[in-house]
Amino acid sequence: MLNIEKISKNFQGVKAVDNCSIKIEKGKITALIGPNGSGKTTIINLISGVIKPDYGKIIFENNNLSGLSIEKIANLGISRLFQQSRLFDNLSIKDNLLIAVNNNSSLIDNILGLNKIAKEIDAKIKTVYDMMEIKESWDKLVSELSYGQKRLVEIAQTILLPHKLLLLDEPVAGVTSLLRKRIAKILLELKQKGETILFIEHDMSFTLDIADDIIVMDAGKIIARGKPENVIKDKKVLEAYLG
Amino acid sequence: MIDAYFIHLLILICIYVILAISLQLSLGFTGLLNLAHVAFFAIGAYATALLALSGYPFWLCILFAGVLAALFGYVLSIPTNKLKGDYLALATLGFSFVIYAIVLNWISLTNGPMGLPGIPRPTFLGINFSNNNNFFMLSIFVTVIIYFVIYSITKSPLGKVMEAIRDDELAARSLGKNTKKIKSISMATSAFFAGIAGSLFAYYITFIDPTSFSFSNLIPILSIVIIGGLASLPGTVFATIIIILLPEPLRFIGFPSSVIGPARQLIYAMLLLIILYYKPKGFYGKVNLE
Amino acid sequence: MLLQVLINGIIAGSVYSLVASGFSLIYSTNKFVHFAHGAVIAFSSYILFLLFSILGINFWISSLLTITFTSFLGYFINYFIYKPLRKKKASASILLIASLALLIIIESLIIIFFGADVKTLNLIKVSEGIQIMGAIITPLQIIIIFVSVILFIFLMYFMKSTKLGKAMRAVADNKDVAEIVGISSENIYSWSFIIGSGIAGIGAILIALEQNIEPVMGTSLMIKGFTASVIGGIGSVPGAVLGSYIIGLVENIGIMFLPSGYKDAIAFVILFIFLFFKPNGILGVKKGLQK
Repeated sequence: MLNIEKISKNFQGVKAVDNCSIKIEKGKITALIGPNGSGKTTIINLISGVIKPDYGKIIFENNNLSGLSIEKIANLGISRLFQQSRLFDNLSIKDNLLIAVNNNSSLIDNILGLNKIAKEIDAKIKTVYDMMEIKESWDKLVSELSYGQKRLVEIAQTILLPHKLLLLDEPVAGVTSLLRKRIAKILLELKQKGETILFIEHDMSFTLDIADDIIVMDAGKIIARGKPENVIKDKKVLEAYLG
Repeated sequence: MIDAYFIHLLILICIYVILAISLQLSLGFTGLLNLAHVAFFAIGAYATALLALSGYPFWLCILFAGVLAALFGYVLSIPTNKLKGDYLALATLGFSFVIYAIVLNWISLTNGPMGLPGIPRPTFLGINFSNNNNFFMLSIFVTVIIYFVIYSITKSPLGKVMEAIRDDELAARSLGKNTKKIKSISMATSAFFAGIAGSLFAYYITFIDPTSFSFSNLIPILSIVIIGGLASLPGTVFATIIIILLPEPLRFIGFPSSVIGPARQLIYAMLLLIILYYKPKGFYGKVNLE
Repeated sequence: MLLQVLINGIIAGSVYSLVASGFSLIYSTNKFVHFAHGAVIAFSSYILFLLFSILGINFWISSLLTITFTSFLGYFINYFIYKPLRKKKASASILLIASLALLIIIESLIIIFFGADVKTLNLIKVSEGIQIMGAIITPLQIIIIFVSVILFIFLMYFMKSTKLGKAMRAVADNKDVAEIVGISSENIYSWSFIIGSGIAGIGAILIALEQNIEPVMGTSLMIKGFTASVIGGIGSVPGAVLGSYIIGLVENIGIMFLPSGYKDAIAFVILFIFLFFKPNGILGVKKGLQK
């Protein structure tokens, strides 16, 4: 589904990502782990189009993502969660979710009220909202939510955006263990429905619980990949983490 | 006497309401620090003046004013698309200076500092709007329509995306939104209504000259938008009434007219400073400036 | 003919550099656009007019007082307007709008107290220009160029070699790190306004002598000053000076083809082009684009 070929990115002389190649298979949950600064978020930024690679290319379902804008890549079916909270603070939960689903920007339609939220879309939002078990009323402004609730709303957005691949950057960083379990459960449910997920995490128990494959990065390079039980035994991985 | 003067103030309030709520669309809702608004006001006014003086009918003049202003708004949005906050502010400010310079210097078109006098009041659907009471009805009618159009945009999903762009453009793009296009729509629509306001202004005052379109004329509009509260339409209407009525007592204190002009600007500017300090969210706003 | 255009361009560039260097110093340190800088210049020109032409005080004393006054004005604006706003965590955009409001306030006060008409200083009688290879330049204009070059050298020396100058560059570079090292950024902000406005004061005097003064002159100068800073690289004082000369030259070449009223517009068109193609300017230091 996603084929990253020999991708490299330099930042002012530092090789953030150094000649990495990754294949993501459909229907699997893949974890991307590694010490801080190893290049994980850069990889995600490269895939989602936030930054452009210096070398190499990324192919997603026969589309070459090089040079495409962020929104084009999103519309091709790549839905991305940011590490830092990026919600629309002055809008309600409902509006935040609506934005993920609706894509009619025709002025006339919107003025004349023709862009009504179809019943199916409304139901879809409600389903995801219930699935996330978000505690707050969905008219509440997102800026008033706690960190954990915000994260749930964001993950809901990511799921609601029509997609073929989910890119999650540290989905459970800083959330309570209860929420962590719930999010793990939700991701496994999504996999059951045939979804493909690539996530970054530092939380090893969360990662080991749900990942089918693990890719380990260090200093911009991929140092190991494979099934979880093999990767945690890999010497290079232990070295990278323990120094 | 008071009656006629009161009608005059109400007409001005209508024109400024249109200017302010249209600025809300680009500034308050989409988060674009759009300081070019007076330029679109000018474009609408001059377009109407020139067409009306050539005898074209009312509906054509006012529509063309809006469309021409919208076109300029769209054109301006293209090079400024990637600019942030204060850079965008200065680029748009610059645009308004360029338009002012053109209005002042392209004498064969605009008659320069002498201005364009004798703009005929419109006659439409059999009604003659030379009568100020009639003109007031027209103004109210236009204002209410515009208010509802802008209101329905802001309540629609498109309006929500505009607000999303204001709050976090990168996140909006990551959700597949073509923010460049939507920002252009916002600027163009905002400019369209400013152009209509300019048209009404030209028809009402029947004489326009560059002094109404210099940069300082942005200050009252900006004050209204900030005092009323960013992204609050009712707050904007409320603030317009206050701003227009505020300097009126000056007339009665008997200052010479050469002082009243700058004194009004002074009051507006000081008010803006005070609001920026004490209540940057304005009275009804929920959003902070950037 | 071309030589005259060149000379006129250099004269204009010198005038603008007096505006732009002060502005750039303030911008690079404070990180927001102090648009009222232009009005500060205008107000100073009027103070000079008041002291010299109305009260008849000796020119040199008037000038000294004017420069002092301008520095104070800059300091007070920072102290009473920007500092309180900064304490309230005002964004650069809010400070920009505040500076626009301030510009209008100052211009309105000038109109109220001095009237809206154009004033002249009448110090130097219309003097004969000196002929250089067919082009004409007056002694005053030579002085303007001279003063702006000297000022520039002083400014460079100040920024590079004095303790205060280095502290300013530190704050401009990275305020948080500078504070860790013990530099008080509020203190530096004050100084940037004092010095930046002082330079503007010198500019105000020369401008008042060379051109007529009117209440809205500040806005026009500010356009040039800001554009020069952007062209040269926002955050770079030498860049602002370079940009000023570029504008001076392009303007004077431009009015060979356009009516002179479009001068201001030319500067803004240049601004647009740079914002679109090269927002970091020629000697660009900081970024001003969205991610």
